[in-house]
Amino acid sequence: MTEATELNDDGLLRRIMAGDEEAFSLLYKRRHPSLYRFALHMSGNTSVAEDVTQEVFLALIRNPKCFDPARGTLAGFLFGVARNHLRKRWEQDRRMVSLAGDPDELTPPSGSGASSKAALVYPTGNGRTNGNGHNPAPTTYEEFTSIENVARVRQAIGTLPENYREVVVLCELEEMSYEEAAAALDCPVGTVRSRLHRARAILVEKLRDSRTPRRATAVGE
Amino acid sequence: MSDEMSDTEEAMHMDCGQFRAVLDDLDRPGTPGMAFREAALAHAERCSRCAQLMTSGEALDFALRQIVAHDAVLRASSRVETALLCALRQQKAHASRRRGQWRMAMLATAAALLLAAGLSLRHFSLGNRSGTAANKPLGGTAINSGAGSGNVEVAQNLAGDSQETSAFVSLPYATDPATLEDGTVVRVELTRSTLAAMGMPVTDAGSFDRIPADIMLSEDGVPQAIRLVSSVVGEQ
Repeated sequence: MTEATELNDDGLLRRIMAGDEEAFSLLYKRRHPSLYRFALHMSGNTSVAEDVTQEVFLALIRNPKCFDPARGTLAGFLFGVARNHLRKRWEQDRRMVSLAGDPDELTPPSGSGASSKAALVYPTGNGRTNGNGHNPAPTTYEEFTSIENVARVRQAIGTLPENYREVVVLCELEEMSYEEAAAALDCPVGTVRSRLHRARAILVEKLRDSRTPRRATAVGE
Repeated sequence: MSDEMSDTEEAMHMDCGQFRAVLDDLDRPGTPGMAFREAALAHAERCSRCAQLMTSGEALDFALRQIVAHDAVLRASSRVETALLCALRQQKAHASRRRGQWRMAMLATAAALLLAAGLSLRHFSLGNRSGTAANKPLGGTAINSGAGSGNVEVAQNLAGDSQETSAFVSLPYATDPATLEDGTVVRVELTRSTLAAMGMPVTDAGSFDRIPADIMLSEDGVPQAIRLVSSVVGEQ
């Protein structure tokens, strides 16, 4: 491969500004998966995630000078742009109602205006469910770490408030440090940390809540 | 030594509040939580409530790791990259066009500046000539005079040419006869028709060629008399 592969993001950006397509492809391949996943987790919709990913890189192509290395990393900047596009998107789609059963629809973001009744069809590996289509509630550690529980966690993330979901996606799913997430979200590190703490508590709470009524049903049976 | 021991013991004796504060960071590199991992585990062994919290947290972490592993392969479709590369090419072409336009604008500006400089120079040069023309109204050669008609001193700017002049003839509207004694003489070139209008004996009055002449000016600059000048080339 050429020396471009050894360049960091800033070096690639400089070459992109000079019109180097190879540098752009490299930067895109390096950065787009995490941006796409972020947009997907935040929107719950693959086409929105693709649109947002495209818009982020278009912004970089059209005005690469809007990125200031003194203010943070390029990755953080790209996540910030993605976040702004998602918010614009939600503003535009606020009055739109998603169609139940739309195969493209994932868990809708809370506060995004999308229907909270949309089914979770995010692939979960083997897609195992119990007889009546419900995921069984975990009662032991082993059960809690089951595939079904993973699906439940994914669904619970989708119902978190937007600012909590952002930190969960960035810090837990994209494995960013608090500092990187703070740069992407343009907020202090302490805010990221406290939001994540709260978000995790909500997730644990939701999972516990989902277990309680089902156990009661099981007792009734 | 005993201080270190007490610090370690204090760290190991974590309370529930401290445990909850570091619980989410126990496995997160680069956070203070990792440093308290042993103490947190020791606390969880003693406190069943915190042990339950830790189990829930670990289960959540497991589920999150599973999601990460599953989603690691997720990518935007190739049409996004294709569209972006297309946009990059367009942007490149646009930038190239803009650079071309910018260069053209710079060249045009430079040309305009050069033209302006040239015109200014020409204007300045003409200005100098017209400044001289204050003494020679019709673009003729300036002549400084001494006093008296017999002592007229003619500037010799036609090198190698000797000149013959006729006697001054008063112009029809001349009002100051004293001018013929001490007026200012200016060398001009006049058309034959102008000379004829002034009463000079010229042939072919319709012709446009110019004939050198000396004009005697009064103190207020009004021409009072005129004489014709003829040059003899080669005679020195």
